[in-house]
Amino acid sequence: MHILYAVLWKAGNPQQVDECRFLLDAGWDENFNLNYLRDVRKHVNQIDAVLLTFPDQAHLGALPYLFGKCGLSCAVYATVPVYKMGQMFLYDQYQSRHNTEDFNVFSLDDVDSAFDKIVQLKYNQSVALKGRGQGLTITPLAAGHMIGGTMWKIVKDGEEDILYAPDFNHKKERHLNGCDLEHVARPSLMITDAYNATYAPARRRQRDEQLMTTILQTLRGGGHVLVAIDTAGRMLELAHMLDQLWRNKESGLMAYSLALLNNVSYNVVEFAKSQIEWMSDKLMRSFEGARNNPFQFKHLKLFHSLSEVNRIRGPKVVLASSPDLECGFARELFTQWCTSAKNHVILTARTSVGTLARDLMTNKKKKTLSLQVKQRVRLEGAELEEYQRRELEAKRAKAAALAGDIDSSDESDTDEAPLATDGQVEHDLTLANGKPNPLFFKSSKRQHAVFPHIEERVKYDDYGELIRPGEFAVAEEEVKPEPVKEEAEPADQEMQDLSTVPSKCLAYYRTFTVAAGVTYIDFEGRTDGESLYRILEQLRPRRLVLLRGTDEVVQPLAARFAQVAEKVLIPRAGHPVDATTESHIYQVRLRDSLVSSLTFSKGKDAEVAWLDGVVVMATDQRPSDVTAPTDDAAMETDDAEEAIPTLELLPAEKAPRHSTVFINELRLSDFKQALVRLGIASEFSGGVLWCCNGTVALRRQEQGHITIEGCLSDDFFRIRELLYGQYAIV
Amino acid sequence: MASAAEELDQLMIRPLGAGQEVGRSCIMLEFKGKKIMLDCGIHPGLSGMDALPFVDMINAEEIDLLLVSHFHLDHCGSLPWFLQKTTFKGRCFMTHATKAIYRWLLADYIKVSNIATEQMLYTEADLEATMDKIETINFHEEKDVRGVKFWAYHAGHVLGAAMFMIEMAGVKILYTGDFSRQEDRHLMVAEMPTVHPDVLIIESTYGTHVHEKREDRENRFTGVVHDIVSRGGRCLIPVFALGRAQELQLILDEYWMGHPELHDIPIYYASSLAKKCMAVYQTYVNAMNERIRRQIAVNNPFVFKHIQNLKGIDHFDDVGPCVIMASPGMMQSGLSRELFESWCTDPKNGVIVAGYCVEGTLAKHLLSEPDEVNTMSGQKLPLKMSVDYISFSAHTDYAQTSDFIRQLKPPHIVLVHGEQNVMSRLKDALLREYADDPSRGPVQIHNPRNTVAVSLPFRGEKVAKVMGGLAVEPPADGRVLSGVLVKRNFNYHLLSPDELGKYTDMTQSQVSQRLSVHFSGSPQLLQYILSSLSADFETTKGKYQWRLFRAVTVTLDGKTAILEWVASPGGDMLADAVLAAVLKAETTRVDAPTRPAKFDRMHYKECLIETLQEMFGDEAVPKFFKGEKFHVTCGGRRADIDLTDMSVTCEEDEVFRSAVLTAVTKLYQSLSPATLSRND
Repeated sequence: MHILYAVLWKAGNPQQVDECRFLLDAGWDENFNLNYLRDVRKHVNQIDAVLLTFPDQAHLGALPYLFGKCGLSCAVYATVPVYKMGQMFLYDQYQSRHNTEDFNVFSLDDVDSAFDKIVQLKYNQSVALKGRGQGLTITPLAAGHMIGGTMWKIVKDGEEDILYAPDFNHKKERHLNGCDLEHVARPSLMITDAYNATYAPARRRQRDEQLMTTILQTLRGGGHVLVAIDTAGRMLELAHMLDQLWRNKESGLMAYSLALLNNVSYNVVEFAKSQIEWMSDKLMRSFEGARNNPFQFKHLKLFHSLSEVNRIRGPKVVLASSPDLECGFARELFTQWCTSAKNHVILTARTSVGTLARDLMTNKKKKTLSLQVKQRVRLEGAELEEYQRRELEAKRAKAAALAGDIDSSDESDTDEAPLATDGQVEHDLTLANGKPNPLFFKSSKRQHAVFPHIEERVKYDDYGELIRPGEFAVAEEEVKPEPVKEEAEPADQEMQDLSTVPSKCLAYYRTFTVAAGVTYIDFEGRTDGESLYRILEQLRPRRLVLLRGTDEVVQPLAARFAQVAEKVLIPRAGHPVDATTESHIYQVRLRDSLVSSLTFSKGKDAEVAWLDGVVVMATDQRPSDVTAPTDDAAMETDDAEEAIPTLELLPAEKAPRHSTVFINELRLSDFKQALVRLGIASEFSGGVLWCCNGTVALRRQEQGHITIEGCLSDDFFRIRELLYGQYAIV
Repeated sequence: MASAAEELDQLMIRPLGAGQEVGRSCIMLEFKGKKIMLDCGIHPGLSGMDALPFVDMINAEEIDLLLVSHFHLDHCGSLPWFLQKTTFKGRCFMTHATKAIYRWLLADYIKVSNIATEQMLYTEADLEATMDKIETINFHEEKDVRGVKFWAYHAGHVLGAAMFMIEMAGVKILYTGDFSRQEDRHLMVAEMPTVHPDVLIIESTYGTHVHEKREDRENRFTGVVHDIVSRGGRCLIPVFALGRAQELQLILDEYWMGHPELHDIPIYYASSLAKKCMAVYQTYVNAMNERIRRQIAVNNPFVFKHIQNLKGIDHFDDVGPCVIMASPGMMQSGLSRELFESWCTDPKNGVIVAGYCVEGTLAKHLLSEPDEVNTMSGQKLPLKMSVDYISFSAHTDYAQTSDFIRQLKPPHIVLVHGEQNVMSRLKDALLREYADDPSRGPVQIHNPRNTVAVSLPFRGEKVAKVMGGLAVEPPADGRVLSGVLVKRNFNYHLLSPDELGKYTDMTQSQVSQRLSVHFSGSPQLLQYILSSLSADFETTKGKYQWRLFRAVTVTLDGKTAILEWVASPGGDMLADAVLAAVLKAETTRVDAPTRPAKFDRMHYKECLIETLQEMFGDEAVPKFFKGEKFHVTCGGRRADIDLTDMSVTCEEDEVFRSAVLTAVTKLYQSLSPATLSRND
């Protein structure tokens, strides 16, 4: 998945629109391989803006690293759900890693500070960029696939649009609408991926049935079902679907448990509940009509730790992150359950080659696996003593340092003060642990309302709301959740312990015999190859950049698209492609006398007229008695460049002659309809439209060429008149 | 063809309701042939058809777009009627929260409205049917309907309330609906748009009034409530079921929490509607302020500890002091009216009017402190209970309005949604304020009455973008541009015709024609006649096929002559000429010369001399001449004619020269076959 983004970076495409450089997505692979970011690090200082499309790791996973460790510092644009869910993805990822290993690629603070840079947008909300991006407008369009999923439209001066649309889904799903192609007129450059170019997934109904029967069979056989799914994207679709399935009394599923297990499940579901306006029309309508929130689950229970899930009796279905089985609860459950033939593992996405999930998918025969097992265990005995000794030393050193610097000691006093009143030992330990953020260990439990990720880190957009009065009322709010927190603690003792007491991480290899069934059921929610082709044919981008796809997939595809697009480009890692569009544009002011002399005729969705004019460079003064609309943008450009030239009427005798232009593409079937309306008989025979009892024939020769043929008769001229009526003639 | 309306530069703003009144907001915008309706409310003080805005002034069918600012009855009350009972075909938009609440609010309105069935404007089924016709728009999302671009800003006021910015042909109009820039317990303040509108249509409910501070207002409110219940009275707070009611509940719940002595006194909220809509409040937290959004992650601020829901008056046990919030807010009818009538005679009781009251309602009447009031049944009751008026309605006041205008700097302001006097006071105050401020430029303030249009001139400046091949060379003085001008939604593009397909959805086409005519004469005859028609005459070897005027091909195939040409006005005309010639050849039954006709120069010369003799007398022209040059004399002036290049020179008399020239050329044209200039 990551390759897409690496390609963009390596292509030096921080996608350049004139001088403005965009980073289109900042994804990472499943295992945070630093090599992938090698090239982008070189460009970090030149990037003007980052545009995010989806909230998953493959599309924004590198954001905290780039901001925290590489010094990237620029505006990031994303939709509201991508912002919220993106944060959930990264928190979950961090916590999953942290639970079993020492993870230091980025910290939760990095996540927060990176997300603070995000400007949150709504679909179709245009943002005019400033500075080097002057003249550029970016607009997020609905892309389906995941909630808030975006296709970015980048427009220069109101023309020449670039469409960046990876991983979109044109199909309507249960909780999402399909992508919004209505707002896309023929793009001059389209960047999309060829990942699915030759892929034809199973039909939706078939797929759902397969899922249903797999689940039922396993549960009835007394086994558990592990569904490996992402944190907050595709999970919503599957969770919503399964909850509906469970509600169906005839399904016979009510007897079994349905669980959602990830580190942030409570928050994800809460956010989903308040983002109905981003979901499908059907869900919105049902909410308006019956006021039932689709994410108010009846059967799906939310869990935040493995021990809670293990306490559920009887066969169960668990939706756990992450889909690649590389880390997180899904991996832990896999190692727990894979040895029993009763259990079943359902994989929902094709993850990168090399991940456990992909390995299971491709090597179905392989029954023994050697897996690395990672664990965080308590320190004991000598190790613990050694640890405590070192901590004490560090603490003393710190205290000495503080004593030397009065200012900073003041600060740290105030920092620690609220913690002390909490009276919880853990906090002190955490500080002693050298982790200045006392909140990180709580992320796994919903009860901890003070955990930062459920709070708004909204900076809000241009329209204000920078001052958050709520911030000044923190003290009174902090008091409330306290009782809840305490009663919840024992339940999570295990987790709590491991993340707060001195611990170390172990990693060792163990061989597993995979006895459980493994099935891949496609819940990726992406456009399939055939539809991709149809959509591209309909959009007719003038230039097409195809990302992510092996040579054997892309080459025939490129050949196929060559008829549709003027240029098909396939960038390879590290090689920039030149997708310059030759754009010649300038503006002219149309004199009123000129406009009133024009005769417009109606074209498809616009009006057209032939214009002969002469350019006059002198600026004219606007008459002061009428108000001209104030256009801030226009005025700014006025100052920057010279004034817009005026186009004046060219006297008729000076106008150069031009040949008549027929505008429109006539479809004979449409013309037949028009004839029928007038009561003129006509019929098709061998691709020829015969009118008036076969006296006049219309033939479509090639693209945009029609022949009318007939004997000298009134009918001929009548049909011809009607035919002319179908065109805008200038 | 561009209709006349489209070229008009007048922006018409015509209130059909809410013009110098409060209630039934409905404002029409007309510009460049586009018609937009803003809000479609109902007058709370009137009933039946009288309560509608003056929609008979307009043709519903012509309206392109209807925008609804928020869910209050005076802004959306006529909507089901308008969508279902008129010929309206345009599109209708509101925000998500507004739509979700609108459905329940109007269903409630239908239920409680105290009128006969035949007077009902619409039924629940009508309302249900409108849900499919209403589209939703998210805040800040830009929509484009037939070239009208619009987007919504947060307006404060109530959940989901929006201000709409509408852009047509470069002119921007901001309609505020009802708005408030004062932060409250759950709503955001109205946003300050980042673009400056050309016209601001702004509410003026409170005119020059300045609200008391939020804290003072809340203290006064809780104080009055406390007084009433401590003296053993019943406190009635008539409220609109949704909107301010939630704000009051948040205040009362908090106050009760801080005053344990009040815990025995129940607070009732008598609205099943509010209960129904609580899910909406819980869902659209993204439209509320930071405080609520933060809190909702912890617990739901809309779950109250001290406030009970009351299903109806039947479930109410009226035994002692209590606080009741009941709808409707202006006590036109319904529960709040019933309770008022049963309590108004006891001086211990009290009523707190917390919202804005419209002229003609009981609540408004109470503010004039009458001694007696009329009941619904027509009977008169003495008014003994205390009446307090504490405005909680989230409308802008003078301070906010004037600050808003100062920042937006609109050249035109249209005041709506305010009573006549209040509105004119506001207008004067604003004018006075801006008269002292020369930096601001002139401002025009209008306060139209219902159905009276304000007409503002706007020069719709037309700017075209020159693109593609035409724009390769930079613009220079005197450069001639020729191409196809494409006009779409007020945008103009100038393109070269062969690049149409590249930049637009349109393509260039060609129509060729093939016309067969019966021809029974000889090929030679046809050739002869055709050759005398056009000087551009080419013959295809070995076939009876000729090409005339470089445009029309005639083929003779047995007894059929086939004409082929490419359609264009010129081409069609030439084809008609050729067709006429073919038909002439068909009817001419003479033996044709074997050779094609050739232009006879000698014959022309003879004719020319004869013509000139006719014109200027026999003496004027020499009888014979050699070569191509000769002269004409008349009245002592002499014109020299050179037939090689058909020129005439005469130094002395220009009129004479041109007369001769005309004779020379016209005669030549009529005797020789036609030629066409190259360019065609």
